[in-house]
Amino acid sequence: MLGIRPPLIIASGPGGYGEYLNLINSKCLGAYTLKTVTYKPRSLTEAPRMAFGSFYLINHIGLENPGVDKFLESLRLGRYDGIFKRTKVILSLGGDDLKEYLKITEKVKPHVDRFVAVEYNFSCPNVTKGGFLLTAKADDWARLLGRIRELLPKTFLLAKLGIEGILIERAAGYVNEAGWEGVTLVNTVRGLHMNPDGRILLGGLSGPILKPISLRAVYEVRKRYQNLYIVAAGGVYSASDAREFIAVGANAISVGSALFKDPNVIEEIGKELGGVVK
Amino acid sequence: MENFCLTKDKVLRINSDTYLLIFEERLPFEPGQFVMIETPQLVRKPFMLGRWNEALAISVQMKGVGTRYIVQEARKLKAHGPLGKAFVPPEGRGVVVASPTCVTMANYLQKRCNCEVVIGSKTQVRFELPFRTVVGDHEFLRLLPTLQYDWCLVAGSDSMKRVVWETFKNKKEHLFFTLEEYMGCGVGACKSCSFLASSGLKYVCKDGPIFRGDELCWE
Repeated sequence: MLGIRPPLIIASGPGGYGEYLNLINSKCLGAYTLKTVTYKPRSLTEAPRMAFGSFYLINHIGLENPGVDKFLESLRLGRYDGIFKRTKVILSLGGDDLKEYLKITEKVKPHVDRFVAVEYNFSCPNVTKGGFLLTAKADDWARLLGRIRELLPKTFLLAKLGIEGILIERAAGYVNEAGWEGVTLVNTVRGLHMNPDGRILLGGLSGPILKPISLRAVYEVRKRYQNLYIVAAGGVYSASDAREFIAVGANAISVGSALFKDPNVIEEIGKELGGVVK
Repeated sequence: MENFCLTKDKVLRINSDTYLLIFEERLPFEPGQFVMIETPQLVRKPFMLGRWNEALAISVQMKGVGTRYIVQEARKLKAHGPLGKAFVPPEGRGVVVASPTCVTMANYLQKRCNCEVVIGSKTQVRFELPFRTVVGDHEFLRLLPTLQYDWCLVAGSDSMKRVVWETFKNKKEHLFFTLEEYMGCGVGACKSCSFLASSGLKYVCKDGPIFRGDELCWE
């Protein structure tokens, strides 16, 4: 078990690097996942970077981040201390290829004890390298999972999975076999938004439209793997959404895009999950 | 920065599609800061904060479901703010060139700084604004070169910004622009409003929303 109370997590991405802590009641939050850090810095993608329809948001921010070296420098300088003081923190990592995932693991290894878990992003749909493309070559990816387990034998490891690249229950099977503690289900899905002016935005789809997909993913994985810790992500906008995910087998709930609509959603769901420790 | 509710006290129509919303609450803020306001949609919308007869006020162009909800349907609105960096004008006498969507912000700046306000409206203004007001592109373009100032802040449409830039770009370090880049969170978390400025990567919500003209790419 991850040992967070309530079992409610801010998802990597929308929550940035702790900015929302100024707007939410952190007593209602179990952990805060930082925006994914990649081995190399990721730079700006073209505007517009976000759009929305009635039931979805779409973004192509593309894992913009300063890269692991600058991130670790900031960590050493205490720039994230305010987050650690107020809640437990989950580190999210990514890379362009298998080698980068290993190299970033080696770089963060001396610091992982500060984090309650490390989540590996194997599913970002907003990249041309890495992300969900890695899981498509399942054997290589499975070996990577094993190597990361060896490098971080005592860390609570979460694999953030999507529904593209590989069947999600199969991907969860590889994670389970590699001895990882859990999975985060699911990441955004590739989508396309057409603006009224005809401009096209390709990006990751999130929002309420994702809920039936992520519910099914949690359901299928829980049916097969009773001991995997499952963080449910995708389309959680209310306490009743959270109840549905818990009912199909989630251990914890992750909230992302819903923060844009109302940051008070954390208090609503946090109170629902109450004194539960997971 | 905090979560709060805004209660509408009065709604006044400025022109064909823009409204002035006056709120009951008092909120300390600095000129140039903005607030994110809820809509029935999936994201909150940013509005420049201002004052009208000392009361907290914003102006809203009604152009879709979200702004119709804010102007016509809701009485209480969930919001978070104040957000963004305060605008600190340079020395001297300035001019704020604004569209009706920024009229309350311009009004507050005039109270706080040494400046004149010029409002450029595409359509007829429904009540008398306490500023020099021009209606239509032709009048606006005729007025623009006559403006004398030490600094100028432009708060309006992209076309308004561009024409002011083209007119005064020889004084670019004295020109300032509000950017209405799409924002998801308003607090610097989501990175959806980032752009490449001449001095590097900037975020409209946390480094702005007001930027100096020579920071922006005009190509």
